[in-house]
Order: sequence, then structure tokens, then C-alpha cells
Amino acid sequence: MLEHLFRMQAGRTVSWLAGLLGSQHLQLAEDAVQESMLRAAQSWSFEGIPEKPEAWLFRVAHNYAISMLRRGSNFETKMDDLVAAMETRTLQIEDVCTEEQLRDDELRMIFMCCHPELPQEARVALSLKLVSGFSAGEIARIFLVEESTVAQRLVRAKRLIRERNLSLGMPANGELRHRLDSVLQVIYLMFSGGYAVPAGEKLIRQDVCIEALRLARMVAASSIASPPVDALVALMALQAARLPARTDAAGDLVLLEEQDHTLWDNGLIAMGFYYFDKSMIGTAVSEWHIQAAIAAEYAKAQTPQAIDWRAILAHYDELVQMNASPIVALNRAAVVMKVHGADAALAELLPLETCSPLHAYHLLPAVRGHILAELGRFAESEIAFTAALKCDCSDPERRFLRKQLEVVRERQRAH
Amino acid sequence: MPHYMLLLRDDRETWNNLSPEAMQKAVEKYYAWRKNPFVVDGKGLNAGTGRVLRRENGKVNVTDGPFSEGREVFGGYYVIEAASFDEAVQLSMDHPHLEFGGVEIREAIH
Repeated sequence: MLEHLFRMQAGRTVSWLAGLLGSQHLQLAEDAVQESMLRAAQSWSFEGIPEKPEAWLFRVAHNYAISMLRRGSNFETKMDDLVAAMETRTLQIEDVCTEEQLRDDELRMIFMCCHPELPQEARVALSLKLVSGFSAGEIARIFLVEESTVAQRLVRAKRLIRERNLSLGMPANGELRHRLDSVLQVIYLMFSGGYAVPAGEKLIRQDVCIEALRLARMVAASSIASPPVDALVALMALQAARLPARTDAAGDLVLLEEQDHTLWDNGLIAMGFYYFDKSMIGTAVSEWHIQAAIAAEYAKAQTPQAIDWRAILAHYDELVQMNASPIVALNRAAVVMKVHGADAALAELLPLETCSPLHAYHLLPAVRGHILAELGRFAESEIAFTAALKCDCSDPERRFLRKQLEVVRERQRAH
Repeated sequence: MPHYMLLLRDDRETWNNLSPEAMQKAVEKYYAWRKNPFVVDGKGLNAGTGRVLRRENGKVNVTDGPFSEGREVFGGYYVIEAASFDEAVQLSMDHPHLEFGGVEIREAIH
């Protein structure tokens, strides 16, 4: 059976059925998909996989939806029309609709999931659930939150869709831009969730990265494609290429500038540069363009020594203008050290110390500890790394910080 | 060779809570087990239907079920070939169903 067939099919079938039934019947679409999977499990476990498993699942879900509509006399609207409309579609399933139609349905679904009337965290969870077929439990494991929290977000979001009558229609021209921005942000949040330093669960995280890439490429291939979409695909492909080199055999973290470049995924790098070139059409420069440009600089370097830190700093200078986030400023400070030295980098950190979003963020004291060690101020560096270890972070990061702390203590003794 | 019957006890709720990905993994494991050379026959049983026949006062009563005896139902069966009961048990030890419910083994009288 095709890898991830059930998961992919879950997303496609919900999108397709909801497209036929309307977003008001989202729950029925989800129930129908669940039923089709259960029946497949009962049957295929013994009889084997049918010749066209996708068509099998489509058909069962579709028939279940029709039978529920027929049975549901409690529905307020004209169910007969809906049943009739559904039945005319039955014929098409045999050819499993066209790929194009399915992609269009998926696209509409993700655009609805990213509606501005839905809270941001709900957009990510909803997209992963409805478009990508991940369960609430899996989403919880990816983002390190409780399953009940995710389940609640999903329930609330679906209630909002019903109550506010959010539809699967594509937004009108004026709003389309804005919605596309939301879609791109959600896709990158998805990707970042999977890309975050692995704390166990390595496989599912990788799956999320690949899925985010698939969704972005789907948007890039559609009629609403634009250069920022290509830039986002480039960014994610170039970052995903580094996944195999990010941890060593023991599961310990390897810094970007120390990674073995031969472990990078050449296919993804090629894909990244292809989309990066494509994103250069036109004059508008988005944040995605600059982030992709930074990722491209790292990918271009054949060895860690060949990294062009000046070029990267120039991109960061531009990025800071567009995005005043303290996280961007923190990342920039680490690059400042490479170009202008540790003293200059330390000065960059000063305004961030009092910045509330970075409060309890382990990377701020970790970067400070790194810079102080470079300056030979080991006692202060030790304090910084100790503070970093008091913040939340993943196990590999914790091991990494502990190692840094030991090195600093060692050098202090030798001093 | 003696035949043994494996009855799978199922709790549909367990399956309902699986993600699509986990469900696919389970299906693949079950079917791989089904293809073992010692498996003579095997079928899944529809969880949503069932009738119980009983003769009461000279008349056969047909009722839907069995649903009253808790949520667990028989979700499927296999007939396997084994030299002895011990071997039948050994062959069934790695059945993927054990992640989800119980397996009951009965020996066919021969």
C-alpha cells in the first residue's frame, strides 16, 4: 500500500466531500471519512488491499454520506436536493475525479482553515486535521501540547465555521492577498512545528515538514501562485534539506556551521534553488524572499568555512526592517558576532534583555553565554548557560547546553 | 494437522481513536499476518450487524445483537493449522490484534 495513503486520503476525501456538501456539513464529511477508514481496516486486514484503494475509500465515504443524509430528517435544509446532487457525483468516483478537481478542493479547504475569523493556533491545527489527515493526538505530539487542548481548539474552530457560516468559496480579489498571507504563515508554522529540534517523535515531525512543503507547492502550482509562495517553498526545501545533518548518530545537536554538508538532501536543495530562482520574478520583496535568501547562503557554501557571513548579515539587516520580532534580532546578533566580533554582538543583545517575548526563551541566554565565552568572560558565560538550562527546551538542546556549560567551566579552571 | 480457531475480541472505540496513519499501519500488520502459510482461513466480521436466534416457547426469536454484553464484539476469526495447542499459541503470540484486544484460541475436535 502507498505510504501514508490513509492520511493523504483522509484529507482529500474530507475536502472533496465538504466541497459537495458545503462547510455546514463538515462534521458529516469527517464522519464519512472515519467510517470509510474503519471499514477498510475491517475488510483489508483480512482480504488484502483492493486494486484501487483510493476509489474504494472515496466510494465508501460517499455512500455513507448519502445514507446519513437520507436518514437525517432532522436536517433543516432541503436534503433531497443534496442527496440528488451527491448521487450524480457517484458516477465520477469510479474515475476518482480528476487530480485537478481534488487539488482544487484541498486548496479551498486550506483557505477556509486559514480564515481570519479563526484564531491563529486553530488555523494550524485545523489545516493539519482537515487537509493533511493528522489526528488531534498527532498534532499534540508535534507541538508538544496536551491532546485535549488540540481537541478543544478543533471543536471551537469548527463551531465558528458553522456559526459564522465560513464557506469554502475562494475569497474575492481584494481579500485574496490577505488570505494568502495567512495560508503561507500557517504552512510555515506547520513546517516550523515539525522542524523544531526533535524531542523523540522524529518521524512524525519529518512527515509534517514534508506535508507543509507539499501544501506550499500545491499553492505554488495553482492559479493564485505568486513570487512569495515560491520563496516560501524555497525556504522550506532548503531548510528541510538539512534535516539529516542536524543531529548526530547519538541524537545530539549539530550546529549549522558544523554540519556535514554531504548529509544534506541534494534533491531538496535543487528544489529549493529552483523555486528560489522562480521567486525572483517581479520586484516585490517579501519576508519569505529574505528568509529564503538566508537559507540559500547556507546551502551554497560547500564547507562551513565558505559560509558568506557578510551576505547573511546584509539579509538580516533587511529582514529586521520588515519584521521587528525579537527572535529575528536575536538570530541577527549571532551573525553579527561572525562579522563584527563578540563585542559588537553583545551590544546587540542588550536591548533584547528586557524584551518580554524572549523572557524564559532558552536561546537568549544561550547566545549570550556563547558570546561571553568568546570574549573570555567565562564566569559570566557560566551564569548565562546556567540560566539557559533553567528554561524549557528539548532534550537534545539540553544536552547541548550542558556540554557548553562544561566546556566553559573547564576553560575557566584552565585560565 | 489439527485446526485451531482464533477469535478476535474487538472494541470499536479503540479503532475509532486511531489516527489514519496508525490505522494504515495496523491494516498492513494484520494482512501480513493473514498471509502466513499456516493460516487456512480468516475473515473480518461486520461490527455493525448481528442477529441472535433463540427458541422460546416453541418459537424462534430473532433479536439484533449481540450488543448487550458490553462494547466488545468479535471482530474477526482465523482458522490456523498447528501440530499442537502449544504451537497454535506460539504462532499467535505476535498477532497485531494483541495491541487492540484479546485473542481467544479454540481447538477444533478432530
